[in-house]
Amino acid sequence: MRLPLRILAFVAVMAAPVLFVLVPIVAFLVMSFWRMDGQQIVPAATLANYAAFFGNEAYLRTFLLTLVLCAEVTAIDLLVGYPIAYFISRRHGRSRYVLLLLFIMPLFMSYIVKIYTMRSILGLDGFLNKILVGSGLLARPSLLFLYNQTAILMTMAVIFLPFVILPIFLSLERIPRNLIQASSDLGAGLAATFRHVILPLSLPGTIAGALFAFVLALGDFITPQMVGGPSGFTFGRVIWSQFGLAYNWPFGAAMGVTLFAVSLVAIVAGGYASRRQRV
Amino acid sequence: MHSRAERLTDVALGLIAGAALFVLYAPVLIGALFSVVTVDRAGIHWETVSFQWYGKLLDNQSILDAIRTTAIVGGIAVCLAAILAVVLALYVEWEGALFRRLVELVVYLPFLLPPIVTGLSMLIFFVGAGVQRGFTTLIIGHTVFVLAVIFRLVQTRLQSLAKSLVEASADLGASRWQTLRWVLWPQLRPAVATGAILAFTLSFDETLISVFVAGDTTTLPLRLWAMMRVGFSPQINALVTIVLLVSIMLTIVIGMRLKSTDQRDEE
Repeated sequence: MRLPLRILAFVAVMAAPVLFVLVPIVAFLVMSFWRMDGQQIVPAATLANYAAFFGNEAYLRTFLLTLVLCAEVTAIDLLVGYPIAYFISRRHGRSRYVLLLLFIMPLFMSYIVKIYTMRSILGLDGFLNKILVGSGLLARPSLLFLYNQTAILMTMAVIFLPFVILPIFLSLERIPRNLIQASSDLGAGLAATFRHVILPLSLPGTIAGALFAFVLALGDFITPQMVGGPSGFTFGRVIWSQFGLAYNWPFGAAMGVTLFAVSLVAIVAGGYASRRQRV
Repeated sequence: MHSRAERLTDVALGLIAGAALFVLYAPVLIGALFSVVTVDRAGIHWETVSFQWYGKLLDNQSILDAIRTTAIVGGIAVCLAAILAVVLALYVEWEGALFRRLVELVVYLPFLLPPIVTGLSMLIFFVGAGVQRGFTTLIIGHTVFVLAVIFRLVQTRLQSLAKSLVEASADLGASRWQTLRWVLWPQLRPAVATGAILAFTLSFDETLISVFVAGDTTTLPLRLWAMMRVGFSPQINALVTIVLLVSIMLTIVIGMRLKSTDQRDEE
């Protein structure tokens, strides 16, 4: 095709995605530099929103605590998810796909329903407490599991676990069998083969899984609201509240841009790390 | 061939996997249990087993409306996304796209970013553009969100097709349209269908973006969320169980379809 025609085709094909993906993101970035005048949003360039956020110890604390929380969710899911993905990848034939399907199925179960059912497990007279008290492990129902950060951590870890298992399994599955055989022919034991062959080759998938868990946990505002209670304030929830009751959109947008920036850094760093691994 | 160490490793890993399955499914089973028996502080009353709450759902107009809205939004969004995905994938893989990486980035962005960012951007954009939020904006939000899924499947399928197919078709005198209709489309159809089912389940469940673009329109997850904030009720558990059963069935359908496309590729 000649160049003018190619440009025309590009514009035609990209019109909708650009209008409904790129333009909104730009609008969101721009909004973060505006300010409120009473109940009115004023389109005037200012860094005040960012100054207000980074200058406020309470907001900053919530932000940092949320980063720690998301890192913990990611770490738990990796520690549990990797062995599971590895276990599935070692199965053969039908049992492999059945197992994979069992672990992937929760991905398609309603997100809101999972939070709700987790709540019925974590509550003061939830199932977890009932079991712990019933089995004599605890004398009295523990307050540990509801309306606090622990409850958020446990719920997120459960919800995002399948997101971690899937990419790790896919990268394990792609490792050629003859590499593993070669390793054992050369005298490497199970542990040595895992350490020097399997683990490095599965790193791209592991990084992708970690990113999924981290980024999803970072922006989640419904889980903290449902199981976190008053003490379970996370960054996502703070942002969300700026668009509801607090009605300060520019400020909310500025915090949203901060979250956006952290996710982008995570995605780019993850992409870089996994590309280095492939070489 | 299997050494003792290998067997022990497998047992240990199997235990972890089993425990994780229990943790993943226990909530679901407990929800289903709560929907048919009465559970209170005294414990589980097994003698009260009944399906009355399922029947009551049929009288709950607001829930039925929410289910209908969710299905219609999902259906339209999936159709729009499927058309757009095929056009974009053909453009990227067969027409030698300008700025190929940029095209891919824009398509994947709503899926890669935290949903709160996608939702916020759309909210600000629609309000700025003076668009009333509601049914239409929900459809736009869902279309953009599920586009990446269908696009990915179609793109993978296109990449695995031999270029010679199209060249042969052109040599035999077929127009571009005829090649698309008779050569490419039959190859793409399974990928589009699988992508569409996958996209529909994602759209049916989508909550975090919908919150921002729904306006006064209510989808099922939004309705459920609103009900849950009020408290627990057996009716919610009944609804939750139905939603779970439907999504489990859809997942099995998708799983089988994906597996059969895999096998065909290997042949």
